[in-house]
Amino acid sequence: MQLILAALAAVTLALPQRDDIHQGKGRGQGQGQGVGDTTFSVQNGARLDVNNFGGEIVVKTWNQNSVQVHSSHSSRSQVNVSGSGSTVLVRTEGRRGPPSIVDLDITVPTWMGMTLSGTYTDISVEGAGGSVTAESVQGDIAVTGGTGNVALKSVEGGVTLAKTRGRIEVNSVQGDISIEDASGDITVETVNGDITLARIDAANVEVNTVDGDVLYDGSIKPGGSYRLATHDGDVTVVIPPGASLSASVSTFDGDFDASFAMDTVRAGKHRFTFALGRGGNTARLELETFSGNIKLRRPGEVGLESRKHKNSGRGHNDRDNDNEQYNYNYDYHYKYHYRYAGN
Amino acid sequence: MNDLWTNRLSEYIDGDLDNEERVALEAHLAACGSCYATLAELRQVVARAQSLKDSSPPTDLWPDIRARLTPGRRPGVERARRFSFSVPQLLAASIVLALLSAGGMWIGLRSTKPTVTANQNVTSPPPDYTLAYASRWRTSTDAAVTELEEALTRNQGQLDTATVRVLRQNLAVIDRAIAQAQRALKRDPGSNYLNLHLANTMRQKIELLRRANALAAGQS
Repeated sequence: MQLILAALAAVTLALPQRDDIHQGKGRGQGQGQGVGDTTFSVQNGARLDVNNFGGEIVVKTWNQNSVQVHSSHSSRSQVNVSGSGSTVLVRTEGRRGPPSIVDLDITVPTWMGMTLSGTYTDISVEGAGGSVTAESVQGDIAVTGGTGNVALKSVEGGVTLAKTRGRIEVNSVQGDISIEDASGDITVETVNGDITLARIDAANVEVNTVDGDVLYDGSIKPGGSYRLATHDGDVTVVIPPGASLSASVSTFDGDFDASFAMDTVRAGKHRFTFALGRGGNTARLELETFSGNIKLRRPGEVGLESRKHKNSGRGHNDRDNDNEQYNYNYDYHYKYHYRYAGN
Repeated sequence: MNDLWTNRLSEYIDGDLDNEERVALEAHLAACGSCYATLAELRQVVARAQSLKDSSPPTDLWPDIRARLTPGRRPGVERARRFSFSVPQLLAASIVLALLSAGGMWIGLRSTKPTVTANQNVTSPPPDYTLAYASRWRTSTDAAVTELEEALTRNQGQLDTATVRVLRQNLAVIDRAIAQAQRALKRDPGSNYLNLHLANTMRQKIELLRRANALAAGQS
């Protein structure tokens, strides 16, 4: 067993707390409010697995091979910390029925991978150095860091991800998705929300929304594949100078414009293609919107401007993760009108 | 294929699991390809069995034997084959089936889409191929969507009403997109883009339905 958790088989952070369980410390407060604290050592390779029915999961990292769990909750709930194999399990439960709101502040080693889940739960991770899986039904998810597999899912809530590298998969139903300073293969999907990818270094990008705008500002790598699609919204792509690509642009009822000249443009009924740069190992770019405009811009032409999300999920737990959204303000020089409806 | 659910698949097909077990198994099926494959095989066996005709043994002894086995029944009176299962609520099976179906359409159509090359040589598949593929796919996908929607209607009571509302609102968003794509396709049935777009939007609907059902199963 990689964890030094033998004695932590069931450390309960509910009231009253047990003190000094193995390397952990706990304390409790009465009067209807509970606060739990425990710290214990873990070995390399251990993983954190947290489920919190409602409230917050906040995970931070430090350069120590130990995990600290701090919880805040009412006396009707309790938090159990246990070990299973190489996994640290943190669970919340109600003394009678489902748990009430529990706020968990957890500090883990930077290298530690984690799986975080909840129902009415906001999830926040800062400085993760391992894989991150986070899923909430009603709640926002904000992750900074993460390597390897990074998978974030929310039904009703925005998702923001930054400073990540690896295989990135982000999914929401109603909520905006923002990914910044990320590298790796990226798959992003929501139904009702905007998708913003900024400062991306990726060779494979797949983005889908039904009702929302899509913005991609990142690398276009030789041999890479980039597919950005929406049904009702604009698709904006920032094309680095010198990028070599062949592109397919499809729209049923929309316009296409670019802020720069393109090598070739070949119109079709609902689709046209063009190429940029010289041949060789070109990237493939597929841009689609049924009802919206497709825009190509050069770096710097799409300015950052704070704006509120139109789909930021629940209001009461918005932790202002929704800043740094792009606003589409620019001048362009070449405009191609292809309004296909009725053709 | 050694988990505890493997031996319950037959009961599942026969509708013999109670509601709690059924929901739990459906949740498991959504994640276990092995059990799903086994379930699919079992379903095929059941389907074949249903298609068999009753036939009497090629001797005259059988009516008497059967009469002894089933007291009160008169020899020679045929009774239709009876299967104990009802129409199974194959939520998870339909989920995977639908995803496979939608994925197949998605991959199939994408693989037939025009190839963009640096020198702009564009090749397209014969329109009939895509259209036939699309038509077949739509039929199977529509059936899968129907099953998933029925499953969600049955199971949504497990979810918070606010969550159900959000899911329904977003299903409506997708439905509107599908309707618009279908109308566009009527005007231009040969459009690769529109066929692809419809397929992708249908896939998104299936994904959402699947996720909604998985959520409901997980919260039961």
